[in-house]
Amino acid sequence: MTTAPTQIEIDRDKGDFQYPEQHKFDAGTGLSEKTIDYICDVKGEDDWVRSYRKRALKVFESKPMPTHWATKDLENIDFDKIRYYLADGQRASRSWEDVPDDVKETFERLGIPENERKFLAGVEAQFDSEAAYSNIKDAVAKDGVIFVGSTEGLLKHPEIFRKWFGKVIPTGDNKFSALNSAVFSGGSFIYVPPGVKVSHPLQAYFRINAENFGQFERTLIIADEGSEVTYMEGCTAPKFDTATLHSAVVELVAMPGAKIEYITVQNWSSNVYNLVTKRALAHENSVVKWIDCNIGSRLTMKYPGVVLKGRKARGEVLSIALANDGQHQDTGAKMIHAADETTSNVISKSISVGDGRSTYRGQVHMPKNLKGCKNNTECDALLINTNSRTDTYPAITVRGDSNSVQHEASVSKVSAEQIFYMQQRGLSEGEAMSLSVNGFVNDLTRQFPMEYSVELKRLIELEMEGSVG
Amino acid sequence: MIAFLDKMTATLDIKNLNVSIGDKPILKDFSLTVPKGEVHAIMGPNGTGKSTLAKALAGHPDYEITSGDALMDGQSILEMEPDERSREGLFMAFQYPMEIPGVTIANFIRAALNARQPEGEELNAPAYYKSLYEKMDMLKIDRKFTSRSVNDGFSGGEKKRCEILQMAMLDPKYAILDETDSGLDIDALKVVADGVNSLRGDNMGALVITHYQRLLEYIVPDHVHVLFDGRIVKSGDKNLALELEEKGYDWVKQLAETAA
Amino acid sequence: MNSITEDVPKKTESKSVTTFKETFNQHIEDIDTTPGWWRRMKREAFEAFLETPMPKRKDESWRFASLSNLSFAEFDYGKPPSIANAQELVEKSNVLEHQSGSFIFADNQTIDAEKASFELQQKGVIWTSLREATSKHGELLKDYFMKQEVHLGSEKFALLHSAFVENGVLLYVPKGVEIEYPFLSYNWITRNNAAAFPHTLIIAEEFSKVSLVEAHFSTTEEAPALSCGVTHLFAGVGAKIDYTLLQDYNEETLGFQINSNIAGKDSTVKSLSVNVGCRNYRSETHGQIKGDGAQVEMLSLAVADEDQEIDQRTLQTHSAANANSNLLFKNALKDKAKTIFSGLIKVDDGAQHTDAYQTNRNLLLSNTAEANSLPGLEIEANDVKCSHGATTSQIEEDEIFYMLARGIPKEKAQELIVYGFFEEILERIEDEKLTEVARSIIQTKFSSK
Repeated sequence: MTTAPTQIEIDRDKGDFQYPEQHKFDAGTGLSEKTIDYICDVKGEDDWVRSYRKRALKVFESKPMPTHWATKDLENIDFDKIRYYLADGQRASRSWEDVPDDVKETFERLGIPENERKFLAGVEAQFDSEAAYSNIKDAVAKDGVIFVGSTEGLLKHPEIFRKWFGKVIPTGDNKFSALNSAVFSGGSFIYVPPGVKVSHPLQAYFRINAENFGQFERTLIIADEGSEVTYMEGCTAPKFDTATLHSAVVELVAMPGAKIEYITVQNWSSNVYNLVTKRALAHENSVVKWIDCNIGSRLTMKYPGVVLKGRKARGEVLSIALANDGQHQDTGAKMIHAADETTSNVISKSISVGDGRSTYRGQVHMPKNLKGCKNNTECDALLINTNSRTDTYPAITVRGDSNSVQHEASVSKVSAEQIFYMQQRGLSEGEAMSLSVNGFVNDLTRQFPMEYSVELKRLIELEMEGSVG
Repeated sequence: MIAFLDKMTATLDIKNLNVSIGDKPILKDFSLTVPKGEVHAIMGPNGTGKSTLAKALAGHPDYEITSGDALMDGQSILEMEPDERSREGLFMAFQYPMEIPGVTIANFIRAALNARQPEGEELNAPAYYKSLYEKMDMLKIDRKFTSRSVNDGFSGGEKKRCEILQMAMLDPKYAILDETDSGLDIDALKVVADGVNSLRGDNMGALVITHYQRLLEYIVPDHVHVLFDGRIVKSGDKNLALELEEKGYDWVKQLAETAA
Repeated sequence: MNSITEDVPKKTESKSVTTFKETFNQHIEDIDTTPGWWRRMKREAFEAFLETPMPKRKDESWRFASLSNLSFAEFDYGKPPSIANAQELVEKSNVLEHQSGSFIFADNQTIDAEKASFELQQKGVIWTSLREATSKHGELLKDYFMKQEVHLGSEKFALLHSAFVENGVLLYVPKGVEIEYPFLSYNWITRNNAAAFPHTLIIAEEFSKVSLVEAHFSTTEEAPALSCGVTHLFAGVGAKIDYTLLQDYNEETLGFQINSNIAGKDSTVKSLSVNVGCRNYRSETHGQIKGDGAQVEMLSLAVADEDQEIDQRTLQTHSAANANSNLLFKNALKDKAKTIFSGLIKVDDGAQHTDAYQTNRNLLLSNTAEANSLPGLEIEANDVKCSHGATTSQIEEDEIFYMLARGIPKEKAQELIVYGFFEEILERIEDEKLTEVARSIIQTKFSSK
């Protein structure tokens, strides 16, 4: 008797779709030594990688969930229901023609401009676990820049990558870095030779495309002396009913005088657990900048860090988090000062909408008789509805009489008077709200590359729809 | 026929308006008609309902209209949302303009103008900036202001000039200027008044709310009304403002007592 | 060996627990005149104390704290012999310009008391020792004595206090009574290994106004001791309480101070602490905004030198609307001293129009001093203005140079800058003499070393 109403497909959220899955390799659900053997066999990995993974599995199993400080929601992750490895088994391809049609379609729907798809300085687009498409632009390769997937990196360039692999973030750093170390696949390995300044940002688009399938990318970027590189990752994910897990590890190594900028704009669907460990090692005079925008996901836990190991090294984290209904953005920054005259800067802006919750956790550490170290931290939170929530938990340790730290945090709200003023000029309540929120993050987004600040603005507008009234 | 009707109803017509804040009645059977092309001034001591009138007409949610009506060109505006009233052509210059951190003046006014465009259409950017700069020059506002956040860190004079700039850009049918002279020194007052005067004409009616006669030396009103305890107790021409200045507000109190 | 921790192997544990139980039973016998309800309360507290684990390294509320220094079993919980130099101590216990009444304790024993004026007594003001209060004002104590939950980590130490506390002050101010001058509670520790349990309970009824000063001192420089104090302030509707604590125990003392300020509707509660002494000092202050329109101020300054560790935990809970709380904790650190400031503002979802501020400023005066700062916010209401700030810095070279150029020696210049740093807190002490006492205690800290 009932007739389903005609659904009009509105392309509101370009991430909201999925493809039928046919995977050549599937490690099945659950995690054991067998899973790891399967992954190693399929990928043809060296024995040292196999034993590295197996050691990591033991660490993962032995570590408790960090619920003594983090949310109990972590206990809802059912590790036995997650598939730890899926792949199509294709070798990374260089020509556009080799890319499967449905992958091309993905690019289309992600809205990557035609010319960018072909000319991006080496698109590394990840479709499920393996790089389905990889194109290192000639110019970049000519300079000796290596831009490959993690599997290829470990296989073909062990002399470069093995030295730093797992050194910035040791397996046992936390439960999820251990998990990643056990089952990682995909992600990028980049090496920039001394003095090379990569003019175009290297980009990676990736997506989760299988139910209950967690992605465990492993990214390692090494910028050799005096080199410069910008890396961008952006992600959108299809919406599923059951939770998916994303647990990446990103390690950056900035050699003396190098500059690395790592930009993330993410918009996970609201069932994803996004538990990411990101850390950089900054040598003398180097600069590492993390730009991190977290929108979506059920729970994001991510605290990009910089270990300032060399004199005059500088670390920065600029982050924006938007927690909408049912979402918890638990983000922050870690600045570990380990040499004289190191400086760090953290600016974090969070927006809680509806019953969304945003949390800032920060750590600033200046131990042992360092001289001339400085940190500046600002975290501002904006609250939109009566049931939204925001928390701030910084931890600052300073030793010595020549270092200084400044931390400031504020919580404010979009006031009714402000909205009325804007309405009096003819803007609807929703437009006024969106304008205010964009105003709140504006001074930060100005520091982002153009296309990312535009995308972010669009995402915020989308998120603010229906948040008033 | 239609043109005739338009002419008949080209007024801002406030009829027996009663407004309360919480349980406290502020405006009591307030009536006033402002035809297009005229400037009416409302004067009165503090706390008699001047700002209430402005905010109630603009649709501020804290002000409850218990009875009466307000019609703009024959159409009641009381059921409209504040932004609808604005788009219909009602402008209010705030006594205390809000600060909107992070939103530049240029973007803000553009957003307000775009909200007036037909669905899917946007302003032509070069034309917009041309018109914006013209009006800024007129109001002696430095062009650098376009990239500053709305009212954020502005002086009192800058805020008020920014209000008049918005008025000039939005081209309203009726404008309510709520204590626009407060916080202005004499130079700033002249600039603001010049701005308002340049917008005067057959296409706009204005209601100037002020405590002091001073502003009315520069924005010469067609009619002056004296407000006391929520209602108009005396109306007259521009000379009433001078009389009021001379006799002081105690006189108004006496007027009100005689009226009652 | 003698600490009661869950980490101690089973056999030793049971032995030391047995010893501690004997100590406690002796304590109950020694104070056998107390009413039955108090003894029951003490026994329950002691049982709960034994069952409560010691703080562990992973406890968030003990982050950065040195837990190895917290053992308390070696102290002497027994009845002290009578105080030999009581009169001398009484004479020294002179820190206020004007006072409305005083109690002077030495090792928990009352050695002197100045009653409240007849006029105040007529008005119904109660100013009495805790001992006396347990027999005369049992009804009042039933509602207010040790009724506050501990949220900041020292549950075990609050239970220890509850089990062994035997003296302290009760100050009850009836509705509408305003008292001009502060009351004084002066607590001396004289014995080697003494365990002291200072207790202050203030109940200020509707629209009353009262102030109290609490002082904690040692008679010797070397004798190790334990002080485990509790202060609870209850401000009724529109009441005003001003509380000041001056702590300068010797640097062998292990100190705990667990305070709670409970602010009713439209009340004002100000608490101010000056902490200079102790080897390890842990203070917990919980500002509880329970009534609309309340105002709570929490101020503190500390100077730590040598191996001192001053660990401060604060909580501002807003469960009512239109209230404000303001916290300012300032620390100056010398030598190898270590401070921890961990603060949290918690705004419940109903507490709209809350203004809550929290500021921690640390001044590092040596290359080996360590300041830890954990300023936290948990906000569930959306119509709030909250902020926190934490800075850790040192004396600016330029400032010193400016003073050198005026002929002021470097040491003196440093001192002046540090005093300037503290002035913001010191000037908030109402009694001028007390301000001077606090100032001179701080000066001693700089001149003697």
